Amino acid sequence: MAGHDAGMHQFTGIAKYFNAYTITGRRNCVLATYAGIAGIFLLFKLKPKKQKAVTSS
Amino acid sequence: MTLNFFDQFMSPTHLGIPLIALALSLPWVLFPTPSARWLNNRLLTLQGWFINRFTQQLLLPLNVGGHKWALLFTSLMVFLITLNLLGLLPYTFTPTTQLSLNMGFAVPLWLATVIIGMRNQPTAALGHLLPEGTPVPLIPVLIIIETISLFIRPLALGVRLTANLTAGHLLIQLIATAAFVLAPMMPTVAILTTTVLFLLTLLEVAVAMIQAYVFVLLLSLYLQENV
Repeated sequence: MAGHDAGMHQFTGIAKYFNAYTITGRRNCVLATYAGIAGIFLLFKLKPKKQKAVTSS
Repeated sequence: MTLNFFDQFMSPTHLGIPLIALALSLPWVLFPTPSARWLNNRLLTLQGWFINRFTQQLLLPLNVGGHKWALLFTSLMVFLITLNLLGLLPYTFTPTTQLSLNMGFAVPLWLATVIIGMRNQPTAALGHLLPEGTPVPLIPVLIIIETISLFIRPLALGVRLTANLTAGHLLIQLIATAAFVLAPMMPTVAILTTTVLFLLTLLEVAVAMIQAYVFVLLLSLYLQENV
């Protein structure tokens, strides 16, 4: 079941590791997506919030 | 006289003592204990035949690693089907109308299948979150969708059983009340309503058995993906 299509595709470059055909390629895509989501979340979490200047009225 | 249609779904208590434990343990006393005899009586033979047949049918698509779950699946199926069918008797409480009970079954068992998959074959378990042959621009979207559908599974399992049984019981009570109220006023309509009630009761018996089977079948399918 896992990796039954491994011999049918010849990938080069980055597609060798990230593709939607081999089981390892799909796994790497999933992990990359999760890492990307975690990265975006951390980016917004750790981004310093700009405070509005207080003006006297 | 019951005036509130939702009283039947309240967890039963008597003098402050919760009776839910009694309601959950009742199916156990209704089944005969298998004996050491070679040839048993009709009831035991029927019970043994049903359990063997069901287990064989359920484990057919599972490989050897999933066969460890045979006892769990069969006992869960017998438990759910008994609770569902007993709940169709008048003035009985159906524990499987409680979302807490159904989620208590669904969440740990689903989580067990996911953990088994992640431990034994992490590459395949993660790889299945992306359908084969997905176009490149759709990869992140589909991964998110598949992850959401993975986490929705235990919710769907629990809510499906709860909603089916709750809706069925409510319908039976509504139509029975309608037939009872119509009887002195419009006897002909009351007879038609009673016919509908009879047919609905037959449907609910089928739903009770099917929903128990669907619950266990879906769990076996989730296990099949991860074993």
